[in-house]
Amino acid sequence: MPIYNPKFMPKLIIDDITVEVPEGTTVLEAAQSVDIPIPHFCWHPALGKAGACRVCAVKMLDGPVRGIQMSCMLPAQDGMVVSTTDPEAMAMRKGVIEWLMINHPHDCPVCDEGGECQLQDFTIAGGHGIRRYDGKKRTHTNQYLGEFIAHEMNRCIQCYRCVRFYQGYAGGTDFGVMGRASMVYFGRQQEGPLDSPFSGNLVDICPTGVFTDKTARFRARYWDYDLAASVCPHCSLGCNITPAARYRELLKVIARRNDAVNGWFICDRGRFANAAVNAPERPRQALVDGKPVTVNEALDVLVLRVGEFLELHGPASLAIVGSPRMSLEGNIMAARLCKLLDAGALSYVGDAVQAERTMGAVSLLASGNAASLADVRQADLIVVAGCDLLEEAPMMALAARQAHRNGARVFVVGDECALDGARQELYESQAVTSLSDIPLTEAKRPVVICGTHPKRPDTAPLMAPLFGKKGLQTPVKFAFILDGPNAFGCALLGREHDAVPLSQAFAGGAIKGLISFEADLPAELTAGITVLAATDWQPTGLMQRAEVVLPCTAWVEQDGTFINNEGRAQRFKQVMRPGLPIKGLDPAGHPPRIHRNDAPGGDVAPSDRVIAMLIQRITGDTPVDGPLSGRWEGLRSLDADGEGKRLTDAA
Amino acid sequence: MIPESLRQELQRRVAGAVTPREAAVDVMKELQRHYGWLSDEAAEEAAGLLGLSPLQVEELATFYEMIYRRPVGRNVIHACDSISCWAMGGETLLRHLEQQLGIEAGGTTRDGAFTLLPCPCLGNCGNGPTIMIGDRLFGPVSPEQAGILIHELQRHGAD
Ligand code: SF4
Ligand code: SF4
Repeated sequence: MPIYNPKFMPKLIIDDITVEVPEGTTVLEAAQSVDIPIPHFCWHPALGKAGACRVCAVKMLDGPVRGIQMSCMLPAQDGMVVSTTDPEAMAMRKGVIEWLMINHPHDCPVCDEGGECQLQDFTIAGGHGIRRYDGKKRTHTNQYLGEFIAHEMNRCIQCYRCVRFYQGYAGGTDFGVMGRASMVYFGRQQEGPLDSPFSGNLVDICPTGVFTDKTARFRARYWDYDLAASVCPHCSLGCNITPAARYRELLKVIARRNDAVNGWFICDRGRFANAAVNAPERPRQALVDGKPVTVNEALDVLVLRVGEFLELHGPASLAIVGSPRMSLEGNIMAARLCKLLDAGALSYVGDAVQAERTMGAVSLLASGNAASLADVRQADLIVVAGCDLLEEAPMMALAARQAHRNGARVFVVGDECALDGARQELYESQAVTSLSDIPLTEAKRPVVICGTHPKRPDTAPLMAPLFGKKGLQTPVKFAFILDGPNAFGCALLGREHDAVPLSQAFAGGAIKGLISFEADLPAELTAGITVLAATDWQPTGLMQRAEVVLPCTAWVEQDGTFINNEGRAQRFKQVMRPGLPIKGLDPAGHPPRIHRNDAPGGDVAPSDRVIAMLIQRITGDTPVDGPLSGRWEGLRSLDADGEGKRLTDAA
Repeated sequence: MIPESLRQELQRRVAGAVTPREAAVDVMKELQRHYGWLSDEAAEEAAGLLGLSPLQVEELATFYEMIYRRPVGRNVIHACDSISCWAMGGETLLRHLEQQLGIEAGGTTRDGAFTLLPCPCLGNCGNGPTIMIGDRLFGPVSPEQAGILIHELQRHGAD
């Protein structure tokens, strides 16, 4: 990588607009910075340039370089005068698109990319509307690449983005580019499922329809989708996503850019592990003792039964259980319910060791020392301790790989190296037995990544000396891998409201019953405890045992907030309306003949609403404050499209 | 399966390279010399020796036009069909070769003596039209000269 002087800002003129950019910025990016779009296929902000597609041509009218140039390959320099509208440049771009279209099939009507296709957009933008070529097109044989990604090689325009992502960015070795005579083929050596846990990004990154999401094949067009900014719930990192739904069915998940968090990509779990949202066995009906009732009836019964229970056993025998999988709003309301009922225990976590480690991590993260995924990508020294990144936080492993590609050294501490499954494939690392073997003083941007899983060795004693350590060039930043998308939020609430791990609450023997909200608890833990009520959108064991079952919305069906592993609060928006997907309904019953305001199976509310309704019933009809009030007030204005708000910084 | 002596020799060369990838062409050429072409088995063996995936070996093998992923004749004739040679009569030369050998470009003679492969650029642009037979480069080559070269090889082959 060339070394640029960060203070020097070349000044150039693009289409009569003066632009000043940091040295090293390409002309293409400089133009983008003032909202002048230049068509491009091979260039990608996360992958850099390849100079392969030739479609970003501009004309240099004056300055150090003259004539037609590829704007993605040219660093912006002082005195450049650039035209993107010059007839020669436009003719070149049009010509390039026409030749790319020579072999591209005219199959947009049956292509899933249609409507969300860069090639379509730039072909139209470039002014190539009529095909002059009437010869034969080059054709390829497609491969089976597994259950998630469909392959249609005829559509390829040889931009090399896929292979640069798959092998370069993500370290995969089973997918690449092969040649034969004048043809290049992007695929596997032999057909078979793609190995990389980041393979789904091929769907997003291919500018045309070579890779499309098989799980959403032939279901809808881009303009039909219900789309909203959302956050992945599958681990503690909180990668940003855009789920796409139609007719109350979650069709697919697309990565959403957040430079501070996931960058441009997500892992395959985040993309492909969402079938539970549409699952027919998903709880959608309120039940009392197994019998279907309306939500209002269920709440009425619950209020009665809670009253009876408290009278019989006393408030100290009741536990209210929230969950690191539930929104911050839901967990705030769970704490309020606990206070209102004066319940014996508020609990967000089952396992005591997990709770202690999470709490420890959260209290160690303070202003400036929490490492975001962006910090990990930019680190020059990384220490990994007590975690299997690919298993527990896949995008963290990918972030560490980017640091490694830029020269960072990676160290794995303790004898738990085998746990760090990422190191073999994504980056090389050195195993060390103690911190003193790591040349921390040489590092300018050191980051330490620690696990908190109860089954792994405790890393806290190992790491403690690093906090506020003297003699370093820069203080160390820390990233903890937590258990769940809102584990951080639960820890903050737990600290505020004296929550206890459920195993500890049960230890005294006083707890006889519980009400749970989106909680995942091992069956042995809750054996012998009465489950007065459970709220969830997943058919958990607790939901099966609960006397009163109150289904709730999945995260894509509601607005909410998760606080990720670094303490970043991120807003997610409602993508789709809850209810049984139309696909799968008995055609005889659709459209419904009886008027109703909600969709079948749609009589569900977000957990925080369910709790608010319950509180309202218990207190009489006084309206309940929204969850984001008091100390959480500041999160109300959180913008789902922004980078989120780091609570560790605000403190 | 390659003989143990060859395996050890190749392992030595891979170990001596700055990165294993750097030794890839060398390894593929040696395996090709052994098998006559880079068979699927050879590609797997190369991957094992180089610590690459079979796909990564395939990427390299299919990039270089002198690595053959299909069986070829004992003599491989590359005829340049890139622009400089084409301007100097490369197309005519290729047709002559096809006629004389009785095969189409890309094919192999029945007796397995010759394979004729058009290829873009042999790096001899100043002396077009160019052909390459085995490791030997010829250019400029007239159709008559090419005929004599092939005759000689046919005679030797008959010995
Ligand atoms: S498959 Fe897609 S991403 Fe890969 S080279 Fe072809 S067009 Fe580009
Ligand atoms: S790394 Fe975690 S948050 Fe990110 S996409 Fe994967 S599962 Fe979701």
